[in-house]
Amino acid sequence: MKINSLKSLTWNALKLNEVILEDKIVLNGSGKATVEKIPAGAMIGNESCSDCGGCDLKSSFNIRSVKCGMGEEAEAFFAEASKDVLMVHARPGRSVTEPVSIRYLMENGDSNADRVEIHAAEDSSITVIMDYSSSKREARGFFGVQTKIWVGRNAKVHLVKVNLLGSGFLCLDDIGVFVEDNGYFDITQMCLGGGRNYIGLSAALKGYKAEFNGDMGYLCLNDQSLDMNYYIAHTGRKTGSSLNVKGALRDRAGKNFRGTIDLIRGAGGAHGNELEDVLLLSDGVVNKTLPVILCDEEDVEGTHGASIGRLSSDMLYYMQTRGFSKYEAELLATKAKLNSVRNLIKDEHTHGRIQYYMEEAFK
Amino acid sequence: MAKERSEVKDIDRSLYDFRYEEKEEDFYKVREGLTPEIVREISREKHDPEWMLEFRLKSLDIYNELKIPEWGPDISGLNMDDIVTYVRSKTGMQAAWEDVPSDIKDTFEKLGIPEAERTSLAGVGAQYDSELVYHNVKEEVLAQGVIYTDMESALTGEYEGMVREHFMKLVPPTDHKFAALHGAVWSGGSFVYVPPGVKVEIPLQSYFRLNAAGAGQFEHTLIIVSEGADLHFIEGCSAPKYNVANLHAGCVELFVGKNARLRYSTIENWSKNMYNLNTKRAICEEGASMEWVSGSFGSHVSYLYPMTILKGNDSHCEFTGITFAGAGQNLDTGAKIVQLGERTSSFINTKSISKSGGESTFRSALTIREGARDSKASVSCASLMLDDISRSDTIPAMDIRTNEADVGHEAKIGRISDDAVFYLMSRGISEEDAKAMIVSGFADNVSKELPLEYAVEMNNLIQLEMKGAIG
Repeated sequence: MKINSLKSLTWNALKLNEVILEDKIVLNGSGKATVEKIPAGAMIGNESCSDCGGCDLKSSFNIRSVKCGMGEEAEAFFAEASKDVLMVHARPGRSVTEPVSIRYLMENGDSNADRVEIHAAEDSSITVIMDYSSSKREARGFFGVQTKIWVGRNAKVHLVKVNLLGSGFLCLDDIGVFVEDNGYFDITQMCLGGGRNYIGLSAALKGYKAEFNGDMGYLCLNDQSLDMNYYIAHTGRKTGSSLNVKGALRDRAGKNFRGTIDLIRGAGGAHGNELEDVLLLSDGVVNKTLPVILCDEEDVEGTHGASIGRLSSDMLYYMQTRGFSKYEAELLATKAKLNSVRNLIKDEHTHGRIQYYMEEAFK
Repeated sequence: MAKERSEVKDIDRSLYDFRYEEKEEDFYKVREGLTPEIVREISREKHDPEWMLEFRLKSLDIYNELKIPEWGPDISGLNMDDIVTYVRSKTGMQAAWEDVPSDIKDTFEKLGIPEAERTSLAGVGAQYDSELVYHNVKEEVLAQGVIYTDMESALTGEYEGMVREHFMKLVPPTDHKFAALHGAVWSGGSFVYVPPGVKVEIPLQSYFRLNAAGAGQFEHTLIIVSEGADLHFIEGCSAPKYNVANLHAGCVELFVGKNARLRYSTIENWSKNMYNLNTKRAICEEGASMEWVSGSFGSHVSYLYPMTILKGNDSHCEFTGITFAGAGQNLDTGAKIVQLGERTSSFINTKSISKSGGESTFRSALTIREGARDSKASVSCASLMLDDISRSDTIPAMDIRTNEADVGHEAKIGRISDDAVFYLMSRGISEEDAKAMIVSGFADNVSKELPLEYAVEMNNLIQLEMKGAIG
């Protein structure tokens, strides 16, 4: 299966143009989603949003048509693998104050793929927390989830994704977002678990002043790998995007980050920004970064920046004068990076689980 | 209300677009296309040693096996069956300017080459179509032991061993399809050897002119700068515009010895029917320094990414480049750096300007391998969009495989800042002058790295004249 293809290809030798997954994925249906509670203003169902009748949907509305970041072959895979769709809906004009928590407990041998749709109707707001975890660190298996989000006019969606899977899991996290006028989509991701993790995200900022904000924190230890492909298309006027990716690599871990901001003709007044901050903790790590800006509109601003390497000598010196060893200083810096992302998640329970996972990982 | 717009003029190419009709009887050329027979014919004409003929034929096989790159600008308009790969004047290379045929001499006179030689260069090579027509080096440079000659003389003369040791070793024909093409049909170019400890105080220059319609130019430049030596080499290129595709697939190989320094400056101003598929590569030994200064203004399509391999510990590379893409141009430029040695450092700093429907792409690859401890790298690129029909992309890749490295990257794409224009206008400068100053300043980091006469040429190339227009 070909996934995470770049829109603008570059040298094949870099091995960043796409990922070819050669794994034979056999699903056994175990590891289903659990929705802990349904807060007021939200609706949960297992049917297409267009049939829910909860809001005055336009006939053109079709959340299924939202494109995801992994591409067409992943789209076909999820359509085949998961006939049911878990649908989360925020009613028009309602602010859902409590987060909707969707938890997947994936144990050793589990293999499941799921589809989730989140629709925030006009003037609504909602937070959805999706948490994938295993009770045993060494658990093996497959977990895939495709999440499609439609952010209506003046609506806000905060999506939280936390990966605390066992170290033997292959994880596919495919995300597609469509944002209407004045809509705001915010995603906070923590990728700490899993063995081989693939994330694809495609955001279409179609509406006037549609906004995207992404914060991603990751930790890759031992032989863990993480492959990310973010594509943010600015088609609406005065749209804005910001993507901050930070994390640490240690041992023999590898990470690919592709981030594309596409400033398309007609998106006058748009601005896009992406930043990556990577802490490298071992000599055997492999870090690949490809921040791309595509621009065919004059009245826009696109920026990207990256900082990759070890803990700065100034910082290390400062820490060592305070009695920290090099290892302790690096640990502290890693936790600080990850905690800065974790703190964006306004849920104590999830905080605690991430904290516990990190403490165990560093033992 | 009508909105006032300011425009930046296209590059004035009239200086470069003049051409003399070549008389058939004055030139020797092979037929169009690419076959083993044509490759043999070129080799025979050039009196290649046997090993070079074998090399050419093997390169042709590789060319036929490799695919066209699928990741860059469209080159479907280039048909090798229509390209003449070898054209040369029947008069041969001259060491005295007055012996060069008058139409060729006039061409280079118009380009200011002899004048530059008299005033500011230590040596000049002038290539017209496939072969050098003039080559001269100052006596004092020769006295230092510097060798500056055409590739054919080097290959068939006393430096054959040195050429054989280095030729297409940095850029093997297997590197990509057009490196293989170069290996098969290369012709012309320069060979430079700077002995240990010799510092060449004033630059050497090669100027490449492709005058024949539907032809290709495949010059090979091989420069060896020995331990502790220092050289500045300048390369200029231009061609008149034709309605048929022309091709440039040159190759530059630079060997920079221990503690040596090489600066390689290029002003590329091919005509807008040119496919510029050039390959440049340098390798630096311990403590060596490689500096690239690159201005890309011409060509219809360009693939140009000078590469530097920092093999030795404490070696260093700087790449400074500017690209100006106007109407009908798709210029894909950038740099590649591979850091292998400890304490190596690199700095890429590029600017690009797109206007009148031009497309510019900054593409780079920075690789820091496992053993490159305590290495540093910085990649900075800025792009300016001057209208809403042009395009500008940045595609910088970084592959870092050691934790003992510090890498920084920043990039920006945008238009001329309204705040900056407002600031200048509040100091009494007109809007047009303010915009002209901003664009001029944008290109300043490159022009100040060029020798004076080339900086002047660059400023001529970018006529940053602003005019008011109702739009």
